[in-house]
Amino acid sequence: MSDPAVSLIALFHEGTQTAEAIDELHSLGIPDDKMVVMTGVPYPERALGRGREWLTLPYIVLAGAVGGFFFGVFLAVVTPHLYRLDVGGHPPVGFPPAAVIVFVFTMMATIVSTFLGVLWEMNFPRFGAAPYHKLVTDGHLALLLECAPSLEAGVRKVLEEHDAHHVGEPERMML
Amino acid sequence: MSDSATATPESQYTERVLLTERKDWEINQAVLQPMIQTGRRFWVLVAGLTAVVTWGVFAWGYLVYWGIGVTGKNRPVYWTLFITTFVFWIGISHAGTMISAVLRLLKADWRRPITRGAEAMTAFALMMAGLYPLIHLGRVWKFYWMIPYPNNRLMWPNFQSPLMWDLVAISTYLIGSTLYLYLALIPDMAMARDHTGGLRYKLYRALALGWRGTEAEWHKLHRALGIFSIAIIPIFLSVHSIVSWDFAVTVQPRWHSTIFAPYFVVGAIYSGLSALATILVLVRKGMRLQEFLRSEHFDALGKLVMVAGLGWIYFWFAGFLVEWYGNEPVVRELIRQEVSGPLAPLFYLQMSANLIPVALLAFRKVRTTPRLLLGVTLLVNVGMYTERLLIVIGSLQRNDIPFNWGTYRPTWVEISIVAMTFAGFALLYTLFSRIVPYVPVWEIKEGRLRYTLRRIGRLLVPTAAEIE
Repeated sequence: MSDPAVSLIALFHEGTQTAEAIDELHSLGIPDDKMVVMTGVPYPERALGRGREWLTLPYIVLAGAVGGFFFGVFLAVVTPHLYRLDVGGHPPVGFPPAAVIVFVFTMMATIVSTFLGVLWEMNFPRFGAAPYHKLVTDGHLALLLECAPSLEAGVRKVLEEHDAHHVGEPERMML
Repeated sequence: MSDSATATPESQYTERVLLTERKDWEINQAVLQPMIQTGRRFWVLVAGLTAVVTWGVFAWGYLVYWGIGVTGKNRPVYWTLFITTFVFWIGISHAGTMISAVLRLLKADWRRPITRGAEAMTAFALMMAGLYPLIHLGRVWKFYWMIPYPNNRLMWPNFQSPLMWDLVAISTYLIGSTLYLYLALIPDMAMARDHTGGLRYKLYRALALGWRGTEAEWHKLHRALGIFSIAIIPIFLSVHSIVSWDFAVTVQPRWHSTIFAPYFVVGAIYSGLSALATILVLVRKGMRLQEFLRSEHFDALGKLVMVAGLGWIYFWFAGFLVEWYGNEPVVRELIRQEVSGPLAPLFYLQMSANLIPVALLAFRKVRTTPRLLLGVTLLVNVGMYTERLLIVIGSLQRNDIPFNWGTYRPTWVEISIVAMTFAGFALLYTLFSRIVPYVPVWEIKEGRLRYTLRRIGRLLVPTAAEIE
């Protein structure tokens, strides 16, 4: 059985140093999925030399919208036949009022599914202890990584060469 | 700091330069400190607003106990101050989405410090608006009859009624705007969690949901905010359209108009943007946020208010022209009442309070001087409230059955309840500004990452990086 992986955290002052360190860690053989970058600011995608992540969120939103559409149709088109109420000489179901109800329920479901979808994608809420550093929200970039014990010395050297500070085992903080 | 934008290009960006040179932790503290340190004036304000709200709740209780007869509501004016103020609050709610969603999609950098204040304004204004249908019912406990659920009385909501459309549209907008506000708030909750202790820490920790700021989290948040921004625009357009159809689908003279939906939407944007400018000036002073809410923001917002005002003038005239030309007896009487009859003071107040600000906002000095902007935008909302009074109450006093004409006078109950919602809005907003970072810190920092000041000759110019 192989030795357990070593976890390390390193803080950087700016994005270029972080991106260069990540490139060199890639060369050392540390894959992307073993590194997590935490920032207090959203860096543009791929600014730190990382791949773009595939999201299922648009599909969740689409499913929600379709669900909302059919719920709206059920309320505005089906239920008036179950509880018939003739008003103003109009048929029990008319296109204009049904369109309003169907539209609003479609949009409501779109919004709610976007919110729930993104929480689900982010695995939120996620309370409890997790590797983190409070300096992240003060503008530092935190690189969290896992590597084989045999690579630890090389990794530390790369990090220090790129002016990383607070290099060490990550503290698990209550989030 | 100077109250107005000064003439020299160098000093125009003094506060921006200062912000650019700030460290991230300094920005955090600049936003957190005014939240945490509340002075005596703050608590005096909270106490005053709470007293008004309490009085209004008493008046509402009085109404519930004695019945709707304690209001001035009577034939033919069955929609009164309650519905007038309901329409007003729905209008106020529009600017939040306008600023936040539309400008986010357009990648307008100046939106950054004001989005949260705008979104909060939407949510709180909708909460106040949502109270009025309940109050207007009189028998508020019958409200649940509007909820579609199978019951042994075989009662079911009438989905052909605009009042049902109101219920679902306002609920949707309230849910949407609250979730939109909260979603963009999560990273700042994490920032506040990392810099506070005690009860505040517990609150921010709960609201941050475990946010760490990983690349994946940012990417997903951005995508979700993008979807929200697109989805919420048709919702906000639909809400005030539906409110206008409450009126337009009736056969009441001056209400039965095809132009009512866009007229209401434009009026709502005019009124909402003005309210936002008013609030920003007050919060900027109260929370010492001069560094974040700068003259360039007021300038841009003032221009938007002016454009919305021009739109309102166009739609008002387009409606008025056709009504005047039609010359139908009741409409003619209603126009006479406004132009030279008992409603004339309100009519001329409406026109002057809506037209004068448009002219004043053409001047940069007015747009960039907070005190002047405050006066002008308050005037707009006086005009817009008066407009709703004329539409709702003024129009109902005359109809196609002349023996059924009448005059409405509000009672102390109605005035107290209206005052309750104004104070309630101010109270919620005041408390919000001390609990939640009023300026979206992460958006400000993101703006610094993407926008820099570049020197071109003698000018110092903000320059954008074209990145997604």
